[in-house]
Amino acid sequence: MIFFPAFDWAISPTHPEREERLLYTRDQLFEEGIMDMPGVTEYHPRLATEKDVSRVHFCVPDIESRVTTAHMVSAGCALVMADAFMNKEVRNAFAIIRPPGHHAMTVVHGNRGFCDINNEAVMVEYLRRTYGVKRLAIVDTDVHHGDGTQEIFWHDPDVLFISFHQDGRTLYPGSGFVEEMGGPLAYGTTINIPMAPKTTDEGIHYIMDNLVMPILDEFKPEIVINSAGQDNHYSDPLANMSFTAQGYAVLNQKLKPDIAVLEGGYSIETALPYVNMGIIMAMAGIDFSNLQEPDYDPSRFKESSRNRAYIKSLVEHQLAAFRGREAVVDKHRKEGREFWGSSRSIFYDTEYLQEEQRLDLRMCPTCCGFRRISSGCAHRSGRNYSVECIAIPAACCPDCVSRGLEEYSSLKKKKSGDHIYLQDRVNDDYRTFESKAGEETVV
Amino acid sequence: MNDALIGIDVGGTYTDGVLFSDGSVVHSVKHRTDEDDLEGTLLLILDDLLAHRRAKDVRRIVLSTTLVTNLLATGRGERTALILLPGKGLPNSAYDISPDTYFLKGWIDFRGRQIEAPDPKEIEDTLKKIHASGIERIAIAGKFSNRNDSHEKMLKKTAESLYPHMDVCTSNEISGRLNFPRRAVTCYYTAMTVRDWNRFADDMEAAIRARAPHCELHILKADGGTTTLAASRKRPCETVFSGPAASTMGTLALSREELNAVSIDIGGTTSDISLLIEGQPLYASRGALIAGHLTHVSSFAVSSIPLGGDSAVYTTDGKLEIGPMRLGPAACFGGEVPTVTDAFNIMNALGLGNAQASHAALSRVAQGLQVPLDSLCRSIAGEVVERLAQSIKDMFRLWEDEPAYKVWEVVHKREFHLHQVIGIGAAAPAVVPMLAERMKVPHFLHRLSPVANALGAAVARPTLAVEVHVDTGRETYSGSPGGLSGKVDKRNYQLKDARELAQACLKQVCADRGLADYADDAQIYSEEQFNVIRGWEQEGKLFDIGIQISPGFIREFKGVEN
Repeated sequence: MIFFPAFDWAISPTHPEREERLLYTRDQLFEEGIMDMPGVTEYHPRLATEKDVSRVHFCVPDIESRVTTAHMVSAGCALVMADAFMNKEVRNAFAIIRPPGHHAMTVVHGNRGFCDINNEAVMVEYLRRTYGVKRLAIVDTDVHHGDGTQEIFWHDPDVLFISFHQDGRTLYPGSGFVEEMGGPLAYGTTINIPMAPKTTDEGIHYIMDNLVMPILDEFKPEIVINSAGQDNHYSDPLANMSFTAQGYAVLNQKLKPDIAVLEGGYSIETALPYVNMGIIMAMAGIDFSNLQEPDYDPSRFKESSRNRAYIKSLVEHQLAAFRGREAVVDKHRKEGREFWGSSRSIFYDTEYLQEEQRLDLRMCPTCCGFRRISSGCAHRSGRNYSVECIAIPAACCPDCVSRGLEEYSSLKKKKSGDHIYLQDRVNDDYRTFESKAGEETVV
Repeated sequence: MNDALIGIDVGGTYTDGVLFSDGSVVHSVKHRTDEDDLEGTLLLILDDLLAHRRAKDVRRIVLSTTLVTNLLATGRGERTALILLPGKGLPNSAYDISPDTYFLKGWIDFRGRQIEAPDPKEIEDTLKKIHASGIERIAIAGKFSNRNDSHEKMLKKTAESLYPHMDVCTSNEISGRLNFPRRAVTCYYTAMTVRDWNRFADDMEAAIRARAPHCELHILKADGGTTTLAASRKRPCETVFSGPAASTMGTLALSREELNAVSIDIGGTTSDISLLIEGQPLYASRGALIAGHLTHVSSFAVSSIPLGGDSAVYTTDGKLEIGPMRLGPAACFGGEVPTVTDAFNIMNALGLGNAQASHAALSRVAQGLQVPLDSLCRSIAGEVVERLAQSIKDMFRLWEDEPAYKVWEVVHKREFHLHQVIGIGAAAPAVVPMLAERMKVPHFLHRLSPVANALGAAVARPTLAVEVHVDTGRETYSGSPGGLSGKVDKRNYQLKDARELAQACLKQVCADRGLADYADDAQIYSEEQFNVIRGWEQEGKLFDIGIQISPGFIREFKGVEN
């Protein structure tokens, strides 16, 4: 495991993402002496590089001015865990880190949901580049919909993203509904499981046993990542669920993630110290039956029959949708469109920014296609940025690569937008072209 | 003039003593250690030293002994019951410390709040059981007792009132650091050895008082500092591993430079490597490992590798092998088989012992391998230096890769830049110059390095670390070791108030241990401050302040000439 509580970093003094957040977790982990247990090894953090970040994000105007050092360390910690796991130094790995990442999307104009960059996504692309991993699954157990991770892998058929969370009609970020299933060429590898407020251990475990585990079995990922938010806990001040530390431990025992990465969780005294202990114990194979919160009462939370029925129908619906995914992708391909376009607005809650974005995906007959993103946003500085981004995924066919590169060149020539970005994962080449100065920077 | 200092270091094989006065070593002695009669060995050395200076001129005697280390390592400590109050968390099976472990009710959380009270009936029943099984020593440890020791105190009071003949130790008196298992182990080892140690302390005190009634009597600890004999009576555990600590302090006493250095003590069968960072010895970050358990005893980080001057040189299947076993002394000193020392003896024409014997013994190996003798010696030396260099680099990396919890620490990543290799121990003059050359830094050897350990003991100053935790939301503080606690005023409490409180706690503990003269040497070594925010409002602050008298030398010591 790696423990990086960023004791010298906060969004603001009273913000939920403040120095104190992992203080009691530190106290609990240290006092329990779990790092001394045979089979638990603690690692040293490192900084993620600009290249690590560029594999995933377009930071506007650049990484240095957009991403805090704390976020660079947090993402770097996930990479340390990836290395430890891939080099077989450990059987599984848990990054207890802050700041979190799962609300950060491909284009970054500012902080969203306490996240600058997406720790899991940076780790996924690092795993692919460094170790040649192809198929991965990310199971997001944070109470908030992992909208950033979903958006980043929306068009990626080789990354299965499953998020269960409190229903978006009742909680930030207001997304993650059943019908959000992925882009036209990656349909069905995004699975959302919106849960009613007050859902208990029982409800979540029904979902684990009857939906998450079967889907993972069928998808056969090489690596399973847990985006391990801890705010489904009954005491979380920002959400309304009824999950317990025992529930989280059992979840991890079932899921057996290869790498878990801490996301949210703001009940810093009542939940985090115990939930983190539970997850470590489950991952390390230590009996956790003696673990509980100080105010835990087993009779306190009962699943309602109405919610049971809802969950059952939700599980059936999503399982069927997942199993029918290939037919849908086939259908989309056969439509024979050159590009598939979509437009939307993205709200950055931390900084009150509004981004307008247009995305065009090449409907490639053989691969997942390259993408062009046009994005505009007025920053807090008052400056209005309009940028163009070309994203060429690692699995692109040679035709998509050359078309993507052509597109980048022609954008540069036209100087359309303040910045033009290239993210070429096939050649691991990342560039920024500043139109006004006519200068290109290579990361 | 009462300025003489005596240091005696009892080692596994030899016991060394020095008499130090007016900047120089007046006399030094070495005797074989009699493991069955440590007191006899110590007094033999002491009397030898006292023959060179009047007893009333001796200001302080410092002893470094292996008594507790041996008791714990060989499992000869007395049967001791361990009572744990772990609350909820790890399973009880995680605490494999004592065969006589009892788990009782009582749960305190990280802010020192009681979640579950102890059960008086259960306590009495347990004590009865312990008594019935003939056990007379009890160690009591509660999770988060460093934040609230009321449960431990209550248990101790009950045990002492019901069974006054028993020795009872509580974990918070021993250490206030987080890590319950280590606190429990340290407390357990303390309870286990406290009676034997006190017997030894009684004898030594009587014997030394008879010789030098007015001199101070100190014991060397694992952290390279001393403690008064009186204060050691409650904390015998702190005296473990004082041998390597004596050597490291001796190295520092001889070099006296604030450099990044490697101190390498090359003995017969092993080499002990320790790091000095800007002249300060590096601590084992996880505490001393004693008989298979990590403890809260702070000790130097020492890496022991099975390679020394007496490591045998031989061949298997036509391949050169070096160590790890020792088959007697070097051939030049009358041994049967050639050793590492013999190889260096020939190669560098050191003229140790009977150089002819080194030649003869190594020539046999050279013939077996069909290589010239000088190239064999070079390969042996090269291999030894390479292995030592590798171990030194591994130690750098361990230090550099310590976990970090702040952004600042990650951005300013540690890097060990070596300035010097310091050699001590019998084989150091042979090996260290070549090792330093390999590491591309100068080396340092002192003519007194054979008695560096005893010298280190003689001139080391007392050390003491106190940690204070302040919770202004709960209006409480706790300080340890020693189980200090009290109230703080919530309004306007600032970091400087916490610092002053830590100073005051340290002064109090110093006074309790007869170290009042040294309290002014203390420095704050760690401080943390957290705002406790509940619902967007500040409810209080948490402070953790660590203050210590770090390892160093008594004021009158100004170094020795080489």
